[in-house]
Amino acid sequence: MRELAWLGLVALLASAGSYYSSSRFGFFGWANLVAGTAALAAALVLWLRRARELASPAARRLLLPRVVGVVAALALAYGLEVGADRANLVWDVTADDRYTLAPATREALARLPGAVTATLYVDPDDNRARSTRLLLETLAAAGAGRVTTRERSLEDSPEDVDRYQIDSSNTVVLALGERTETVARPTEGALFEGLRRLAADHGQVVYVARGEGEGDLQRGGDAGFTGLAEALKTEGFAVREMVTAALSEVPADAALVLLVAPQRPLRAEAIAALEAWLGRGGRLVALLEPGADTGVESLLARFGFGLPDAVIVDPASGPVEGDAPGVNPIVFQYATHPATHGLDATRMVFFRRTRPVLAERKPQPDDELRAVAFASRRSWLAPNAAAVQRGAAPEQPAERSEDYWPVLTVGAYPRPGGETRIAVFGDADFASNRYLRALYNLDLLMNTIHWAAQREAEITLRPKSLTPDQYPLTPQQSLEMLYGVGLLIPELCVAAAAWIWVRRRSA
Amino acid sequence: MTALRALVRKELAVLFGSPVAWLTLAAIGLVTALLFFDHLRIYNQILFLFASSTMGGFESDTVPAYVNLRDQVFLPVMETLALTLVGLIPLITMRVFAEERARGTDELLATTLLTPNQIVAGKSIAAYAFVALALALSFVYPATSIVRAGLGLPHLLAVYLGLFGLGIALTSVGLVCSAFTSSQLVAAISAYAVAFVLYDFRWMAQFLPDAAARAIDPLSMHLRFGAFAEGLVRGADVAYFAGYVLVAFALCRLAHDQARVR
Repeated sequence: MRELAWLGLVALLASAGSYYSSSRFGFFGWANLVAGTAALAAALVLWLRRARELASPAARRLLLPRVVGVVAALALAYGLEVGADRANLVWDVTADDRYTLAPATREALARLPGAVTATLYVDPDDNRARSTRLLLETLAAAGAGRVTTRERSLEDSPEDVDRYQIDSSNTVVLALGERTETVARPTEGALFEGLRRLAADHGQVVYVARGEGEGDLQRGGDAGFTGLAEALKTEGFAVREMVTAALSEVPADAALVLLVAPQRPLRAEAIAALEAWLGRGGRLVALLEPGADTGVESLLARFGFGLPDAVIVDPASGPVEGDAPGVNPIVFQYATHPATHGLDATRMVFFRRTRPVLAERKPQPDDELRAVAFASRRSWLAPNAAAVQRGAAPEQPAERSEDYWPVLTVGAYPRPGGETRIAVFGDADFASNRYLRALYNLDLLMNTIHWAAQREAEITLRPKSLTPDQYPLTPQQSLEMLYGVGLLIPELCVAAAAWIWVRRRSA
Repeated sequence: MTALRALVRKELAVLFGSPVAWLTLAAIGLVTALLFFDHLRIYNQILFLFASSTMGGFESDTVPAYVNLRDQVFLPVMETLALTLVGLIPLITMRVFAEERARGTDELLATTLLTPNQIVAGKSIAAYAFVALALALSFVYPATSIVRAGLGLPHLLAVYLGLFGLGIALTSVGLVCSAFTSSQLVAAISAYAVAFVLYDFRWMAQFLPDAAARAIDPLSMHLRFGAFAEGLVRGADVAYFAGYVLVAFALCRLAHDQARVR
């Protein structure tokens, strides 16, 4: 019996060893698994036949409570596990709250029009899949039955690889009915965007002005705005271009017009068309750079906005990317408004060379006009805006006026055709591909756009991820830590072993 | 309680009175340190490649986000350390009950004031304490290095808690195997076999239907440890590891009484 048990154990170990070394069961693994199981089963039968002495009444009296104890322990262990699972006791202790869903993700899950299947395609040896599995489990738990997850081996699913254009392991395919979204790097942010794209109906159209040197929503790279275009599509807008050089009337299906840093003056007809549209309840979001005079400033002045040709200098913000200190304010002062919902002193927005946007004079008593995001109290205005835009240092004015200079001002104007809404940012770079996903830039911009388009229900805080420190230790420091800590502890243990051995021998 | 404390103290004294225990501690510490340093060396080489002029240097943002100390060094080392525990813990637990039974001193122990429950509990506590100490010592070096990479103390503690849970579960398996035999070798080999099976049930997926594979997968120790390693502490995982202690205690107690019958 013992020999058989031995053989069985050794065969099982060989089988396990082959599996753990190759992550697969080859012929060797299979053969050992079958042989080992058979040998152990035979040994068990022999042991049971020999264990008849355990069936005596005295033995039964002694052992029965113990067997009951084992069953009770198993039941208790199972009950504890199930109870803890049902109580959903989960603590996310990651530095970037990786498994704590952002409000935007929860809202996206709640608004799903149907059941979504999230399929993870993965290679067996891909360690990144563990984090993705946990994230999908978190999504499924928060989805309250709307999200089911499953897993497929990449090499066993060649048809799916072609159909969903899967490039690499650790890719998630979200499916809602016939619609699918492939998420290649499944962070919470990417999954959130995938869910939003799945459910989006693209009913509202954002027209983006073009033709006078505006920021290009089709241009990639750091200075382009493709990230903004993608964000708009993700959050349910259809994006179309509107060439201002030929503009006589804003298209009837426009939910919102977006002006991104025009560099040259807009034609008077275009300005008139915009003004007429705004007078009928239109909605405009303008991102205006300092040092430019495009005619839009005059239009906005008629709605109460003041746009001095100056640059905000905020001594609370340090130098960034070779710019003069203070010209890139990090904004963390907000007024209470739907556009700044959820933002506070710990949720900052990075601006690059910003002009002040003042709330000066309401055109009509019922209008609302207010600044909602500000540089710090120590900020002041440098008058040489065009030069600062080209990289010059800001000039100190004769009388420096320190104040909370606003970088975003919004206005709501009840008009016969509906409520006109206008939001003006003093900068466009903060929405460029380079900075859009920095800090809370995307949240402030998209929430402002949603407010202007009267889609307040879409206002939320989007998922964030922390970029870890990639080079915290130099090779020299690594070596010092190995000697200082890593090898010292084993050395002390070996010394203790030697000391005990010598003492024993001399005893 | 005094008798239980005395038994735990005696067990620990026996353990630390032998060079083998110290050498086991040294081995776990050394394996971890060398693994960690090797991963760190390779990581620095990868960074050097990215930072070289042909790749644009650090300032050009060419280092992908997944190249970081947490994902490339710390977590793989913890993963390997977890697997190392499967190899080392049966060596610690094999003697706990089997040695006494082989020498016949278990009968002597039964004549003391200690109840069978106290005997089982005392020996188990000493084994768990030793494993906890071994893990703590092996954790010092990676932890002191990784704390610079912004992993965060709570996440570090979660990883240690996961390793500790895994160590406790493996120790429980080893204790049960030791309790049912008088041969230390049989105890160790059977503990290896059981531990390898319980460590990861993914291998069963290819023999079972999808639903059954999904149902059995949560029984894997590796899966439970994985959540801790990723920084997610779940009550169900803590309960899972605690369950091993409960069941192991009951089985060891059964083995104790079974030996009396024989």
